[in-house]
Amino acid sequence: MSTVFYQTFERHAHGAGLKGHATHYCAGCGHGLVQKYLAESIEELGVQDRTVAISPVGCAVFMYYYLDVGNTQAAHGRAPAVAIGHKMANPESIVISYQGDGDLASIGLAEIMQAAQMGLPMTVIFVNNAIYGMTGGQMAPTTLSGQVTATSPAGRTREMGQPLKMAELIAQLDGPVYVERVALYDNKQRTRAQRAILKAIRMQAEGRGFAFVEVLSECPTHLKATPEEAEQWVKEKMTPIFPLGVKKDLETEPWFAMKKPNHSVQKLMEVIGANKKKTPTFCQAFPEQIDSQDIALKLAGAGGDGAQTAAMLITRAAINEGFDATHIPSYGPESRGGTSFADVHIASEEVLSPASPTPHILVAFNAPSLMKFGPTVQPGGTILYDSTVISEVPNVQDDVQLYGIPFTQIAADLGKVLVKNIVALGALQAATDLMPKESLLTAIQQALANKCAMIPLNEAAFESGAEALCLEMDRRN
Amino acid sequence: MIKATKQKERPKPFLFPEFCKACGRCITACPKNCITFGDTINPKSGLMPVQIDMELCNGCGLCLSACPEPYGLMPQVDNHEPIDPKTLFGEKNSTASKAVRVPDEVLPLPDMNPLIIKGTYASAIGAALAGCRHFFGYPITPSTEGAELMAKILPELNGVFVQAVSEVATVNMMYGCGGAGMRCMTFTSSPGFSLMLEGISYMIGAEVPGVFVNVMRGGPGLGNIAPEQGDIKLACRGLGHGNTYAVVLAPSTPQEMLELTMLAFQLSFKYRHPVIILADGYLGQMTGKVNLPKEMVKPGLPDWAVFGDEAHRANLICSIELSEQDLEQHNLHLMEKYDRMISTEQRADCYFCDDAEIVLVATNTPSRMAKGAVEELRRAGIRVGLFRPISLWPFPIDAFEQSISEARKIVVVEAGNGQLEDEIRLAMSKAGIMNYLPIEHIQRYGGVLPSKQAIVDQILAKEVQQ
Repeated sequence: MSTVFYQTFERHAHGAGLKGHATHYCAGCGHGLVQKYLAESIEELGVQDRTVAISPVGCAVFMYYYLDVGNTQAAHGRAPAVAIGHKMANPESIVISYQGDGDLASIGLAEIMQAAQMGLPMTVIFVNNAIYGMTGGQMAPTTLSGQVTATSPAGRTREMGQPLKMAELIAQLDGPVYVERVALYDNKQRTRAQRAILKAIRMQAEGRGFAFVEVLSECPTHLKATPEEAEQWVKEKMTPIFPLGVKKDLETEPWFAMKKPNHSVQKLMEVIGANKKKTPTFCQAFPEQIDSQDIALKLAGAGGDGAQTAAMLITRAAINEGFDATHIPSYGPESRGGTSFADVHIASEEVLSPASPTPHILVAFNAPSLMKFGPTVQPGGTILYDSTVISEVPNVQDDVQLYGIPFTQIAADLGKVLVKNIVALGALQAATDLMPKESLLTAIQQALANKCAMIPLNEAAFESGAEALCLEMDRRN
Repeated sequence: MIKATKQKERPKPFLFPEFCKACGRCITACPKNCITFGDTINPKSGLMPVQIDMELCNGCGLCLSACPEPYGLMPQVDNHEPIDPKTLFGEKNSTASKAVRVPDEVLPLPDMNPLIIKGTYASAIGAALAGCRHFFGYPITPSTEGAELMAKILPELNGVFVQAVSEVATVNMMYGCGGAGMRCMTFTSSPGFSLMLEGISYMIGAEVPGVFVNVMRGGPGLGNIAPEQGDIKLACRGLGHGNTYAVVLAPSTPQEMLELTMLAFQLSFKYRHPVIILADGYLGQMTGKVNLPKEMVKPGLPDWAVFGDEAHRANLICSIELSEQDLEQHNLHLMEKYDRMISTEQRADCYFCDDAEIVLVATNTPSRMAKGAVEELRRAGIRVGLFRPISLWPFPIDAFEQSISEARKIVVVEAGNGQLEDEIRLAMSKAGIMNYLPIEHIQRYGGVLPSKQAIVDQILAKEVQQ
């Protein structure tokens, strides 16, 4: 008897009487054997303290009654996901995910596939008895063709699908290092099963990888057979469909190692980009020429025009200056080329409504944006648009200033179309005096702190935008 | 048995007759045919255990490795005579030691510049400051940026980022990792949150902590990726099957995204219970100013964790209770926790409620519009206030009752079909506030938020009528 079993099964209806030392499994059931081999392997490898066993839903739900290891009972089908959680929480732990055929091969297919493909060192024991035991003998994904079950009373037909060969499926993946299918029906098979289970845990203990053992098992109760007949049934009916043997056994070196989580203050501040460096301020007062306490902007264009980046820079500059500011992006479903607009608010005290349905300032990078949002700009507001690509101007409200500046052309002349949003920022600053240009340039420098080589180009773009706007103003005067 | 085959002396088996289920596996295993089905009923088990002819037995051990029962057939110890299991096994059930709780440490933070970040980033950073180094998630707009930041920063902190195969897998990874005593979290959005509910019920049942940040989007179905508040009923009334509740926190600024995420971890471990943060699509994506707190947490390790070491070997994470009496006791235990949450975790922000004749109730981004409306209506001489619940469950009824003491009506502003309003009505009913004030509402759906102007206009229109 293995010392990995509890000396008394106290969790089993309080461990009274027979239940204190006998399993809940039916006579002839394979689960008891598999768990005995598990216990013996854990003992032999000396990993009892480190082991976490994940009990499934199904007849083995009560595995935690028996094994004196850390135990977690999982939701139906999810044991491999729970196992990943455990392994990631403590890479030193030996995690054994134990599942039946309904659990692993039906409801939990996605979870076992991911766990196998991730290939983390863990041990999955898959007990396949071709039927649902706990719920009372219904068809399993591994039920044989023609096999009678409670939900295939006339036998499993072709329409009900074919038996699912999990060991072969798992062995096809690149994640697992060891996959074997074993059985329990005679001494030879039991010896192989013992060895396979021992190896599957050893592979994990040595950090070699994901190991999967499928055990063909007997369910005499739902086969309506004696234990001996059930053994014969597995041997004669199951093994032709589920061939026994090693499906995969890679020679791998131990590879798995994880460091202990880092909780140093300094490191955390570094990775989140927090710093103590004082940012210079340039603003004397809130730009009340636009609004006394809350300025709304909208920047709109096609995805990739840079509206969001420009909005971000304005927001950053405003917060640097001690104002409150918010930026809400709005994208179409496409990553590039769809519509994209940004709502920005700058408030002297606190931004309340962060959306900009009626902005003071609109920057439009393409014609649809100008047509759509131009008319929403408040009376007395300002619109800047890219005259490289926009030739038609919508009707706007009273006293709205419209400036067509060739953002794209200017950027192209500078050698990089991508900086058209910075050209627009320069023009915006010159047209509205929203913030001193040093504020915006500082925000640009901060944003490009990791790409310093880009700073001169962006500064040139900003200046060019401002110059173009001034030329346009001069032309009008 | 591997050990047995290595042993030089080959022990003969002995049988505890009451633990033999007479499956007969040992009979077919025995090459000497010394085991036969029995013919005597064991008075304890009511079964007929097998019989072994010890004269024929050569101690090959094959029957031992064929017996599915841990204490059925065992290697012989001192003699062949079956012994009373009680005297054989003694009193002690497990040799595992008793785990000791390792307490959290609080580490002071230096004064830093405010961060300029979006709401999901603020939440992710709040999690990191709360000691979270394990993230599990599945990408879904508009929550994904939070996961992306975690994918970037956690490896640098020797933490773990796992992109799960689905939200179902996500919540179960959290079940495992939280059950191991680690601080773990996810970002998701409405459809993904629906998928996690089953797992949240398991976490509540098994008392596993974990933080869920649901950046709500427009629904039902696939809906859209714009902000809505359509998951309030899920979070407050429908956390999976069973008698489930959890603390639900609703931020309204990126700053609160950080602070409430930190709080969520604290509460999650205080109660050994999941905590839900309900944000909305705007809040998740909105960039704003975020001040860092004065301190961060270096987490310890709880004594109840299934960590996978000697100290925690005796532990069990489990939500199955077969006996009705046990499960009722467990529910009573959970209800006692809920009562403690109700009495200590109500949080709210009151804005000009003291003398308010009209109290607006709003949360998340709509509360910002409502706050703007309050300012504008006050300038128009109307005594309006804003009550902003920060904990949606437990609903801050005590503060609410106070805030409506001068009111003649309540106006609920929400981006949803009355789910917040239902919480208010239920909370008032439970608190025994019998004579409801009239409750009006301003609602938008599908990703449209009530605008400040709409709130002002509706209130003004009604006031002018009167």
